[in-house]
Amino acid sequence: MSARNQRDSGSEASGAQGIAIGWTVFSYLIGGMAAYGGIGWLIGRVVHVSLLFPIGMLVGLGISVGYIIYRYGRAASTGGDKTWKRA
Amino acid sequence: MTGAVAASAGSCDVFSAHLFSGCGFQAPGLQDFYFKPLFTVDGFGFTKPMLVAILCVIAVIAFFWVAFRKPKLVPGHTQSLGEMGILAVRDQILRPAIGRKGDKYLPLLVSLFFYIFLMNLMELIPVFQFPAMSKTGFVIPMVIAVYALYLYLGFKNQGAWGYISNMWPHDVPWPVLILLIPVELLRFFIIQPFTLGIRLFANMFAGHLLLSIFMLATWYLASLSIGLLFAAGSAVMVLFIFLLELLVDLLQAFIFTTLTATYIASSLEAAH
Repeated sequence: MSARNQRDSGSEASGAQGIAIGWTVFSYLIGGMAAYGGIGWLIGRVVHVSLLFPIGMLVGLGISVGYIIYRYGRAASTGGDKTWKRA
Repeated sequence: MTGAVAASAGSCDVFSAHLFSGCGFQAPGLQDFYFKPLFTVDGFGFTKPMLVAILCVIAVIAFFWVAFRKPKLVPGHTQSLGEMGILAVRDQILRPAIGRKGDKYLPLLVSLFFYIFLMNLMELIPVFQFPAMSKTGFVIPMVIAVYALYLYLGFKNQGAWGYISNMWPHDVPWPVLILLIPVELLRFFIIQPFTLGIRLFANMFAGHLLLSIFMLATWYLASLSIGLLFAAGSAVMVLFIFLLELLVDLLQAFIFTTLTATYIASSLEAAH
């Protein structure tokens, strides 16, 4: 394979991974809010405190954002996501 | 009949409504995504989106059948075109995501890409002018098929517990891991397939609505008055949205297929 083809296939792979990473980050944000919002809603129904639902969503959002920074921010500073390859 | 009489007589519809005709702008909405059946069989109504979907399936199959039924070493025009399409999906989508070992999934990815692209393009083709992917009934089965495939591959290649345990990171402290497990499970089993489908559906829905608004606005504003100037502006917007939708149609097909390839790749990877 020529050097140009190797560069092109490398950039295409990073392009595909870039799309996947972008949507993975979005999924983490939604997933965090949904998971902990759901947990907060369930606990809120039991203890009759409806405020736990939005609190849960905010907590979930915070956890997701923290993890995204930990995983992708650390990967960017060390030159690639070496720890975990699943999209 | 004057405009006011027409309005009061209740004869305002999309075709008769123009600026200063006494009729208000008949904005497109949800009602434009529901069609009367073309015919009914035993209570089952066959509608225009179904016809569009069937025609797209026939067109994709017919094209590749004609292109490769008698393949030659020196390809003809159709075979060349077919080869370009397949190699584009292989080199731009499949190989970057999965590598050579994913070549057996090329028929699936080629079918997905061209089917979705043609279904999206129907939005812009006269007579049809409806993207069937703006109806969730066409998107959900595709998502279910992709979802079932990558779950099956994941469980087959990594084992049930291996596949699930690979969803969360192993290099974080255990209190953080406990916090992350609900997020990862929900993200992987619910959010990921949901966003795969809703992205395609929402883009096609919004694009069709946008195109309809400006086309109807051009028609509504086209009266013998100052409205002609605004109709011209609206017509320019129609052209702009047409070009934008052409890009979005291709992009959404590309993104859906790329993410399918990525999910398959993550299912095929062995545990770390």
